[in-house]
Amino acid sequence: MNPMIRKELRQRMRERRGWILPSLYLLALCAIISFVYYESSTDGRGTQQGWQFGVELFLTLAYAQLALLLLMAPIFSAGALTIEKEQRTLPGLLTSLLGPLQIWWGKFVASLMFILLLLVIGIPVLSVVFAFGGVGPWEVAIVAFTTVVILGTISAISLYWSSAFRRSVHATAVSYVTVVLMTVVTLIIFGIAMSSVRTQDGWHSIPLEVRAPLYLNPLFFLTTALVPKNQLYPEWFTCLGAFVAVAALCALLTLRNLRRGGDIA
Amino acid sequence: MIEVSHIQKRYGGSRALDGFNLRVEKGELFGLVGPNGAGKTTLIKILSTLIRADSGSAKIAGFDVAVDPLAVKSVLGYMPDQPGLYQDMRVREFLEFFADAFHIPSQRRRAVVEQGLAESGLAARAESFVEELSFGMKQRLFLAKTLLHSPQVLLLDEPATGLDPLARVDLRDQLKRLNQQGITILLSSHILADLQEICSRVALIAGGKNQQDGAGNSVIELRKEDSSLPRLYEVGVLQDGEHAAQFAGTFGGAKVLDVERLRILVEISGATAQASEFLRHLVMNGVQVVRFDRLPATLEHRYREVFGDKPR
Repeated sequence: MNPMIRKELRQRMRERRGWILPSLYLLALCAIISFVYYESSTDGRGTQQGWQFGVELFLTLAYAQLALLLLMAPIFSAGALTIEKEQRTLPGLLTSLLGPLQIWWGKFVASLMFILLLLVIGIPVLSVVFAFGGVGPWEVAIVAFTTVVILGTISAISLYWSSAFRRSVHATAVSYVTVVLMTVVTLIIFGIAMSSVRTQDGWHSIPLEVRAPLYLNPLFFLTTALVPKNQLYPEWFTCLGAFVAVAALCALLTLRNLRRGGDIA
Repeated sequence: MIEVSHIQKRYGGSRALDGFNLRVEKGELFGLVGPNGAGKTTLIKILSTLIRADSGSAKIAGFDVAVDPLAVKSVLGYMPDQPGLYQDMRVREFLEFFADAFHIPSQRRRAVVEQGLAESGLAARAESFVEELSFGMKQRLFLAKTLLHSPQVLLLDEPATGLDPLARVDLRDQLKRLNQQGITILLSSHILADLQEICSRVALIAGGKNQQDGAGNSVIELRKEDSSLPRLYEVGVLQDGEHAAQFAGTFGGAKVLDVERLRILVEISGATAQASEFLRHLVMNGVQVVRFDRLPATLEHRYREVFGDKPR
C-alpha cells in the first residue's frame, strides 16, 4: 500500500473534522428527508402514489447530496499539499524515495476515500427511498458513480490549487471559486447563450458551442445520469469525458508543480 | 563524493548561485560558510534534488542530481534549516512512515525504526506525539529519519539553529560519530565555532560565488597549519595598553586588533620569526610585556577577514 495513503488516512481520522463533518452530513441528509416528507404530506396532494414520492425523494436527495459534498470536497483536498508547505514537511517527502506521482495519488485517494466514507454512511439514510418504491439499484448505482466522478474531479482541481498556493486558506478559497464557476457560472453562460438561439426542436438542435459550458456543470452531469439506461449516450458520456479530462489535466499540472517542489516548498 | 561545477541558479532578477564550485572528498566533514543570502541554502537544495540548477553540474556519489535524482535520493540524507515534522503523528509512526517512504523492506523496517529510536535517544518517547517533544528532541528525531536508509552523504542546512547549548554539543558529537562511521557530511552553519571544531575543511561562499581569504584560498583547511596566514598574538602588559598599542602599530606586518588596559591583540603576518622580532620591538621601546601568547587562528577571524566586520 502506498505509504502516503496510510499516513493521510491516519492523520485525517485523528482530526476533529474527521467525525464532525460526517455527523453534520448525516444530520443534513436526515433534515432534508424530514422536510421533503413533511412537505409532501401537508401539501394536499393526496393523490400522489408511493412510488412517485419515492422518485421525488430520491431526486431531492441525489441533488442535495451532491450539493453537500461539493461544499465538503475542497475542505478535504485544498489543504492537502499546502499543509505540507505550512508545516515544512514537503521537502522531507520530496527527498524521500516517494515520487511526485505517489505523493499525488496518496493525497488524491485519501481525499476521495473520505468522500466515499460520507457516501457510504449516507446509504442507510438514502435507503428510505426503497420503502416507497419507484427507484431501482441501477438509478442508485449510476447516481453514486456520477457523484464520485464529479467529486474526484473537484478533488483533483483542489489538489492542483493546493500545489499552486503556499497557504491553505488561499487554496481553499480558490477551490470554492472553481466550484461556483462550474455549478453556477456555466449555467448563467448557457442561459445567456440560449437567449440568442431560437430552436423548438429540443436539446439536440441547440448548437454545441451553446451547450458546451454545461458539460462541465456537476448538476447537469448528475441530471444526464437520471435518464433511462439506453439514453445515457451521448450526453452522460460527454460529461464523463469532460470531467475525466479536467481531472487528468489538473493531475498533470499538480505533478509538474510537485517536481518543482523546492521552489514552492 | 560531492562535486559541484560552475553551478548557476537565478530567482527572477537575482543570482542565487553564480558559477560556484565545490569538491568534497569521501568521508569528509565539510563546512559551508558565508553571510545571509550567500547561496548556501540554494546550493544544498540543488544537491538534495529539491530544485534544479539553471546551468552547471552537481554530482553526489557519481550521480548527477539533475539526471538521476532517484539514485541521488537513495544515497542522500537531507536536513533542512527548519525541519518539518508531522506533529499529529507518534514518534514511532513518523519513523515507520519514512522507513516505508525510503522503500526499506518490511522485514527490516521494524529493526531500522528501533535502531533509529535507540540512536536518537527517543526509545522511551516512541509512543509520544511529535508535538509533545522538545525542540532538541524534534531535531534528533528528524536526524534519525534522515539516517533511516543509511545514506552515504548527509546535507545539513543550519542544523544547530535554535538549539540550546547542550543540544548543540550533542548534535556536534553525533555528527562527529556519523562522520567516523564513514558518512560524508556537508554542513552549512553560521555557528563558526561548531564548524571549527568538527569540520576538516570549510568553503567560503558569498553572492553565489567562491570567496577567497587573504592567502587566496577558497577552501580553508582547518586541521593543517597554514604558514601563509597571519597569526594572532595576545600581549599582556604591566600597564597602559594604549601606549603598547602605539608601538605595536609601528612594526611592519603587525596590525592591532583590540586594545585593553592590560592587554592588546595583534595580528602578525609573515614568517614565524616575525613574532620574536615584534616582541623585541616592544621591549626595546619600553613596553613592559608580562605575557606573549599565540592564539589559534579561529575560523571567525578568517571569516571577518574575508567578509568584513559588518553584518550583511
